[in-house]
Amino acid sequence: MSEQGTIDAAEGLFSQTPEGPRLLGSRCATCQTPYFPRSEACHNPECENSDMRDDTFGPEGRLISIALQNYPPPPPTIAADPYATYGVGLVDLPEGLRVIGRLLAEDPEQVPVGGLVALVIAPLGQDAEGREVLSWQWKPV
Amino acid sequence: MNDVAALGFGMHPWGKFPEKRLNDICRVAVESALADAGIAWKEIEAVCAASSRFSGGKGWGLNGNDVVEDMGSTGVPVYNMSAGCAAGSNAFNVGYTMIKSGVHDVVLVVGGEKMPKGFIQTSGLEDATDPEYLRQRCVGLPGPGFWAMLTRARMEEYGTTEADLAAVAVKAHQVGTHNENARFRQIFSLEDVLNSNMVSHPLRLYEICPVSDGAAAVVLCSAEFARKKTTQPIWAASTAVATARFDDGLPRGLACVPGEGRPHHSEARISVAKALETAGIGPKELDFVELQDNTVYYELAFPEEWGLCEPGESERLLHAGETLPTGKMPINPSGGFLCFGEATTAQGLFQICEVGWQLRGECGPRQVPNARIGMAQSIGLGGNGAAAILKR
Ligand SMILES: [Zn+2]
Repeated sequence: MSEQGTIDAAEGLFSQTPEGPRLLGSRCATCQTPYFPRSEACHNPECENSDMRDDTFGPEGRLISIALQNYPPPPPTIAADPYATYGVGLVDLPEGLRVIGRLLAEDPEQVPVGGLVALVIAPLGQDAEGREVLSWQWKPV
Repeated sequence: MNDVAALGFGMHPWGKFPEKRLNDICRVAVESALADAGIAWKEIEAVCAASSRFSGGKGWGLNGNDVVEDMGSTGVPVYNMSAGCAAGSNAFNVGYTMIKSGVHDVVLVVGGEKMPKGFIQTSGLEDATDPEYLRQRCVGLPGPGFWAMLTRARMEEYGTTEADLAAVAVKAHQVGTHNENARFRQIFSLEDVLNSNMVSHPLRLYEICPVSDGAAAVVLCSAEFARKKTTQPIWAASTAVATARFDDGLPRGLACVPGEGRPHHSEARISVAKALETAGIGPKELDFVELQDNTVYYELAFPEEWGLCEPGESERLLHAGETLPTGKMPINPSGGFLCFGEATTAQGLFQICEVGWQLRGECGPRQVPNARIGMAQSIGLGGNGAAAILKR
């Protein structure tokens, strides 16, 4: 843990609940479409009455694809210093949501597509003030 | 409804031109399109311009107004169209619609862009309601990573190899080397591509398009006007624009619903299907296609998604030489984005110029033999998609 403490990469997107880490989104009560992050309106063209309620998603899904980030992206992306290639996973949740997120893996090249992953809230790296920047990440199980 | 002719095509070559203003390269494209059409600036009745994201347009994307001032302030109406990288094609669609409906007889369509260095960046705004900002801040997945994710999914499904991906880039440069308007005209071997730096696994540097400066222009007119100027006009058979569907499984921000089938750009599929329907032809009747190859993946995926070939068939067609100008399914005889680089809002119009020149048989060593009907397709930020079909 950094001496300067921690900060969430963005507010209101994830939470460490008593049941474990969860993504904070919403779901339309009319057509049951899930959204992450929260949405003010239902985008489903077949839905006749947008009725958005807060909902949470996670903690498990299946990896349907992976990209590796071989070069350090420019700000506002936060990464380890010195830079190490990280993976980004495309994950299908049983709640009917497809979510991207960084892979929390020692060697992202060895992570298989098709495997199960668990939601964790973990640091991406440090910001300019030396704070650990936390975000949701996918950890292969 | 009036038939619509594409009377003149003009381009400033793609490249990096730090010493030139955007207005200068736009004027080169416009003047050459007017000369190609055999008309004077004063004959233009309206201007449809791609609204620039990165340069010119008085900082408000008013690029068409800049062009009119430089060419002569005749008082014509100007429409500045904003649709991300599909803006040039959207402007073409609006110009086409004006001629088709009889509002105007002669319309200039123009797009130009001078790009900042590096890969295309986010808006730069630290706006927690902007999904693009959140994607970079909370995850870190720039454009090449997004394309890499689609590419890896294809590799898992069809067994596409890194050598297959590299072969697409080899083919692009094999063709683009003959295009004097293209920026990257060197010929690459398979080893050259495979030895280029890994940008976002499985995609390498020579498999994704960098940014460029460039400008292109097209003169559209009614059939009656065209017949006064030429006996062999190129016709705009159809154009269509679309936006992404809710259920195409492509997470443009942080998440989406999975939808049916594999993730795809529905805005591309819908605009292409609509353009084909309006032109009254099937996908296999196209003699060639200029498609948006920001990366080699799209040259494999798009033809399958639009019905030009069967799903999973693209690699075989590529290796058999069928996507070359002389093949059965020519793709990007211009060399495509890989050889031009991306001048974002101008891209749709360099494609349409290439389609026009191919239909006239003016393309020399990269000519599609006896090309009679061709399509240009582009997509842009916000889920914008556009397609145009030209014929002779
Ligand atoms: Zn709904």
